[in-house]
Amino acid sequence: MPDPSDHFLARSFSALQENLRRSGPAASVGYTLIGAILLLGGLGHLVDRWAATATPWFLLTGMLLGLVVGFYELAKTIWKK
Amino acid sequence: MSAQHQEEATPHVGEHAADVEHASEGFDAGATIIEHVTNSSLEHPLVHLEPIAGIDLSVTKHVMMMWLVAGLLFVVITMVTRAYLNQDRRVPSGFMNGLEWLVQSIRDSVVLPNVGAKYVNTWTPLLLTMFVFILAANIVGLIPMFEALGLVDRFVLGNGHDAESLINGVLHGGTTVTANYNVTAALATITFFAIIIAGTMAHGFVKHWKNLVPSGLAKPIYVLLIPIEIMGMFVKPFALTMRLAANMTGGHIAILSILSLVFLFTEMFESAAVGMGVGVAMSLPLAVGISALEIIVVMVQAYVFTLLTSVFIGMAINVHH
Repeated sequence: MPDPSDHFLARSFSALQENLRRSGPAASVGYTLIGAILLLGGLGHLVDRWAATATPWFLLTGMLLGLVVGFYELAKTIWKK
Repeated sequence: MSAQHQEEATPHVGEHAADVEHASEGFDAGATIIEHVTNSSLEHPLVHLEPIAGIDLSVTKHVMMMWLVAGLLFVVITMVTRAYLNQDRRVPSGFMNGLEWLVQSIRDSVVLPNVGAKYVNTWTPLLLTMFVFILAANIVGLIPMFEALGLVDRFVLGNGHDAESLINGVLHGGTTVTANYNVTAALATITFFAIIIAGTMAHGFVKHWKNLVPSGLAKPIYVLLIPIEIMGMFVKPFALTMRLAANMTGGHIAILSILSLVFLFTEMFESAAVGMGVGVAMSLPLAVGISALEIIVVMVQAYVFTLLTSVFIGMAINVHH
C-alpha cells in the first residue's frame, strides 16, 4: 500500500499550509499597515465630528499616528530575526 | 452610535429592492447587491423583540444565520463524537476521521509551532473553535440555499413576496455572517483578550505588560515606544476584523455584480435574448470561476485568522528580545 502522504493532494495541501504559515506574519503586517491608518484615522474623524472642528486636525493626527504605528509593526516583523 | 445614525449610514435599500427589478424605474444593481451582502435593516428584522436596556435585540438576517451555523456545528460535532465514543472499537471512520484529522493538523501545524509545547493544549480548543466556526460560517454563506428555497417559494408554491412573514424574511437570502464587521470584531475581541490572558498566564500580569516593549533601551525612547505599542495592541485585532470581513464581502460583491450584467444588458438593449446571451457567454463562466476561487478564499481566510491568532498568542508567550 502506498504511503498516503505521498498522494499529490496531500503533498500540495501540506505545501499550501507551509506557505501560508510562512507568509502569515507578512499578511498580518500588510493589513496592520492599512488597519492602523484606518482605525486611528477613523477615531480622529469621530473626534473631529464630535468636537465639530473646522479643520480636521484630529483626522490628520490620527492618520499620521496610524502611519507611525503601522510602520513600527512592519519594522518589528522584518527585523525580528 | 444611535440607531438614527445607523439609519443614515446604510443607504435606503429597503426590503423591496427586488421590486425595483420589476418596476418601471429599472434595475438598480447597486441597491440589489448591497441588499444581499448587508444585514437586514433594524426596521424590518426577522423576529422583532422589545429592546432590553435600550439595545435592540431583534433577530436580523445575520443573527439568524449565525445561530444556524453555531447550532449546526454543535449538533453535528456532538453527534459524531458521541457516536464515536459509544463505539466498541475506537477506530474513527468517515466524518469522525476527517474531524480527527482537522483537530490534529490544527494542533500540530498551527498551534504547536507558534505557541510552543508547554501551552499547546491550553490554546488549541479556542483556536480550533475559531477555525471551525469561521470555516462553517464562510461555507454556509457560500451556499445559496435560502435563495433556492426562495425561488421554490415564489415560483413553485406561488407565494407573493410582500408578505411580512418570518418565512418570507428568511427567504430573502442567506448571507455570510463573517462578512459582517460586528461578527468579526467580536471574534477579534476574543483574540485581543486571549493575547493578554496568554501573556499573563505565562509571565504574570505585570511582566506581560513589561514584555510588550523591548527592554534595555534609552529612557526617552520609551516615551515614544509605549504609546505606539499600546496602539499596536488594538490595531492588530482590528486588522484581523477587517481582513476577514472584507474578504468575505468582496467575493460576494464580485459574483453579484457579474450576474447583474445579465439584467443590465437586458435593460440596455430591451431584449431578454441579449441579456441571456451575455449571461451564458460571460456572466456564468466568470461567476463559476469566482465561486471556485471563493472556495479557496473561504478556507484560507479561516486558516489565516486562526494562524494569526496563534502567532499573536505565541508572541505574548515566547518573548525574545
